[in-house]
Amino acid sequence: MIHVEKLRKEFKKTIKDPGLKGSIKSLFHPKSEKVVAVKDISFDVPRGEILGFIGPNGAGKSTVIKMLTGILTPTSGVCTINGKNPRENRKSYVKEIGVVFGQRTQLWWDLPLRETYGVLKEMYEVPDDRYKKRMAFLNEVLELDSFITSPVRTLSLGQRMRADIAASLLHSPKVLFLDEPTIGLDVVVKDNIRKAIEHINREEQTTVILTTHDLADIELLSKRIVMIDKGSNVFDGAIADLKSKYGQMRELVFETDDPDPSETLGYCRHFNISEDDCTLECEGKRVKVRFNSASVPVSEMLSYTLAAVNVSDISVKDADIEEIIRRLYKGVDA
Amino acid sequence: MRRKLKIYLPFIGAGMQETATYRVNWIFYILGSVTGCFVSYFIWKAVFASGGGGAMNGFTMPQMTVYIFLMFVTSMIVGSDASYVVGEEVRDGTIAMRLLKPVSYNATFLFQELGNKLLTEAVLLVPLLIVLEIVRTALTGSVQFNPLCLLLYLLSCVLGYLINFFFSICFGFVAFIIKYLWGANMMKNVIVGFLSGATVPLAFLPPALEKVFLMLPFASLGYTPVMIYMNMYGGAELLYFLGLQVFWAAAFWGLSKLLWRVCVRRLSVQGG
Amino acid sequence: MKQIKRLFRMHRIFVVQELKRMTEYKGDFIVGVVGFLLAQVANLLFLWIIFTQVPDLMGWSMNEVVFIYGFSLIPKGLDHLLFDNLWNIGFFIVRKGDFDKYLTRPVDTLFHVMVEKLQIDAFGELLTGIALVCVTLPQLAISWSVLKVALALLVIPFCTLIYTGIKTITAAIAFWVKRSGNIIYMFYMVHDFAKYPVTIYNNAVRFVITYIIPFAFTAYFPAVYILRDENPLFCIGLTVLISAAVMALGIFVWHRGISAYESAGS
Repeated sequence: MIHVEKLRKEFKKTIKDPGLKGSIKSLFHPKSEKVVAVKDISFDVPRGEILGFIGPNGAGKSTVIKMLTGILTPTSGVCTINGKNPRENRKSYVKEIGVVFGQRTQLWWDLPLRETYGVLKEMYEVPDDRYKKRMAFLNEVLELDSFITSPVRTLSLGQRMRADIAASLLHSPKVLFLDEPTIGLDVVVKDNIRKAIEHINREEQTTVILTTHDLADIELLSKRIVMIDKGSNVFDGAIADLKSKYGQMRELVFETDDPDPSETLGYCRHFNISEDDCTLECEGKRVKVRFNSASVPVSEMLSYTLAAVNVSDISVKDADIEEIIRRLYKGVDA
Repeated sequence: MRRKLKIYLPFIGAGMQETATYRVNWIFYILGSVTGCFVSYFIWKAVFASGGGGAMNGFTMPQMTVYIFLMFVTSMIVGSDASYVVGEEVRDGTIAMRLLKPVSYNATFLFQELGNKLLTEAVLLVPLLIVLEIVRTALTGSVQFNPLCLLLYLLSCVLGYLINFFFSICFGFVAFIIKYLWGANMMKNVIVGFLSGATVPLAFLPPALEKVFLMLPFASLGYTPVMIYMNMYGGAELLYFLGLQVFWAAAFWGLSKLLWRVCVRRLSVQGG
Repeated sequence: MKQIKRLFRMHRIFVVQELKRMTEYKGDFIVGVVGFLLAQVANLLFLWIIFTQVPDLMGWSMNEVVFIYGFSLIPKGLDHLLFDNLWNIGFFIVRKGDFDKYLTRPVDTLFHVMVEKLQIDAFGELLTGIALVCVTLPQLAISWSVLKVALALLVIPFCTLIYTGIKTITAAIAFWVKRSGNIIYMFYMVHDFAKYPVTIYNNAVRFVITYIIPFAFTAYFPAVYILRDENPLFCIGLTVLISAAVMALGIFVWHRGISAYESAGS
């Protein structure tokens, strides 16, 4: 469905000396340097997949998304959706996609929501009967009824996000781009939005590209992740692969009345491992240990802990994806 | 006094920095605005040519030329954005925040704008006045420059600015009634522009109208300083008009204080 | 054809909305229209004062001057009414990265920007212009013919496009420099010259407003054909050609600008 090959974007950045003198100088002799925001990225997304697209701030995520949505012109390389190329025919390309930017609405501030959809209907040439069916469907999934007559500016953030998602789906796009779709929303609304995305993906085989800072979005929705940093692709694969590749982190949680469990246990000393492979957090009686099960097997960890201190209420579980990604980002930065 | 100055000094600095950032845009803006002067200049030139070239209502063509361009410079010096800033704050409610700060509301604005102006004026005023003097000398064939007139002009401009500033603060409160600030300000600027002599010298109006306009505060924002610079006012007249400027400055200062108090009461009744 | 119909249906939604708003916020509507009306009144007072001093302005009677002035307001008002959103491109939309949304829509971006807004304030100019033309026409000795009426009406949309084209070119500069509002303003203000007979200007000004920033074709040249039957090929023919050229240049610069558009943020 989506084919990205050696996509590259360079920006010219003007360098300005500080102060008034610098401003005047740059007016007459503008100095600029080339900044490569995206370095020859390639990946493919099959139909119906939900792809989590992640990376630290400034990694070039938005630049890639903006090239894929036809907003920015790539310096070189190609991206095609369903065989269509935005550089050859932007208008027919964008008909294939729907775009939601969580940070800013794509809707018209003063227009009542219903009128907004009326404009989009004309824009995307949706026939009357299809439009009616589509609105009924979107209404059901995203529950727009209660605020469909209100102007966009009066909607709450959660309502606005639902309205934006509905707007992006009105023309039944084959690919949906969601950039931070749950930003600033409370837990219940987040959950509703995730369910709606999943529903649409299941029902219509819509391919979804999801960028987010909330890794729970990704863990709940997508099976595959593409991670980029400093403009390059650093990981592309299933979440399960990510887990096995980047440390088999486990989390051991228990309660103890030991006054200083950190000192008493001294995991790093005992197992002779580095701080990276084992961290300990105390919260009153509660102790949380994150450790790499590749360097210390779970059974050894358990028996040592039980022997060393007086323990109640003990449990072991998989570390969440957030922890893995945090380690991954750390590794990338170093 | 010195302590007071210390409080407000950062505001001057902030205003200056703001202006420097937008310097290039500002130059485009000036170039766009000055077009109107050239249009007036050519129209008056045609008028004087059609009228036989003699003086009209006490103005010769060279004097008219100086009048038009000096009026432009003066309106820049005297100009104030206060009505817009106050209006914006009234509209979005941030004016309530001003209550929390231990500095005078008006004074904060005044000093911020002064910082802005100090820079623009230093850049704009000096070269423009020099050019204008050279043109004036060339047009009339003799040196007309009078340092005393320049000093009195500057004094009159300062008074004019204060009148305009406090008037604009008062006008800003219109935002409680009219939400469309851009439109309201446009209306104000057109009316003030006409009454201040920016569109046409007040001496060209029917005498009765001229008398009334001269009494109004708006002549102080353009006509009075320009006439002083051009040495058109004699001793007694000069004192009268400067006195009138002081009166209006004080009047609008008082009115702005009053309106501010009303506004505070209104906000506290509403619960801010 | 179907395309155009679709675009007009889109436009109608925005227009209806704007008119609804107008009735909802009557105060704002009146303030805007009256503001622009007053600006014209001030200029007319200026003209009136001038004609109390002299019987004619370099051979132009008061009625002729007022006719040209009034005529100039009609294309200016139309452009103001329909295509005002270009100012926002120059001042805000590009700088804040809000242009993104236009690029994700399957409609021409320039058209999209233009239909989005109806600027009701423009009625202040438009109505003044029409009124002035209507008041002065009967007092002017004009030889009318069917052709002249047709040409006079036909030329107005082309005059409007000169405004729109110049605004488009200067607004598009924002795609490179982020903020071009004041550049639009600088060029736009040159239209002030076009409200009066261009024979009062010196050669340099005349050259600039005829061939460089061709605002003279938005009022003076069409008006002089209507008033004095001067060469229609130049006055009307060239107006049409120049307006097409300016608008074409505008569209070209706009589309070049879009490839240079860098959005905002990282």
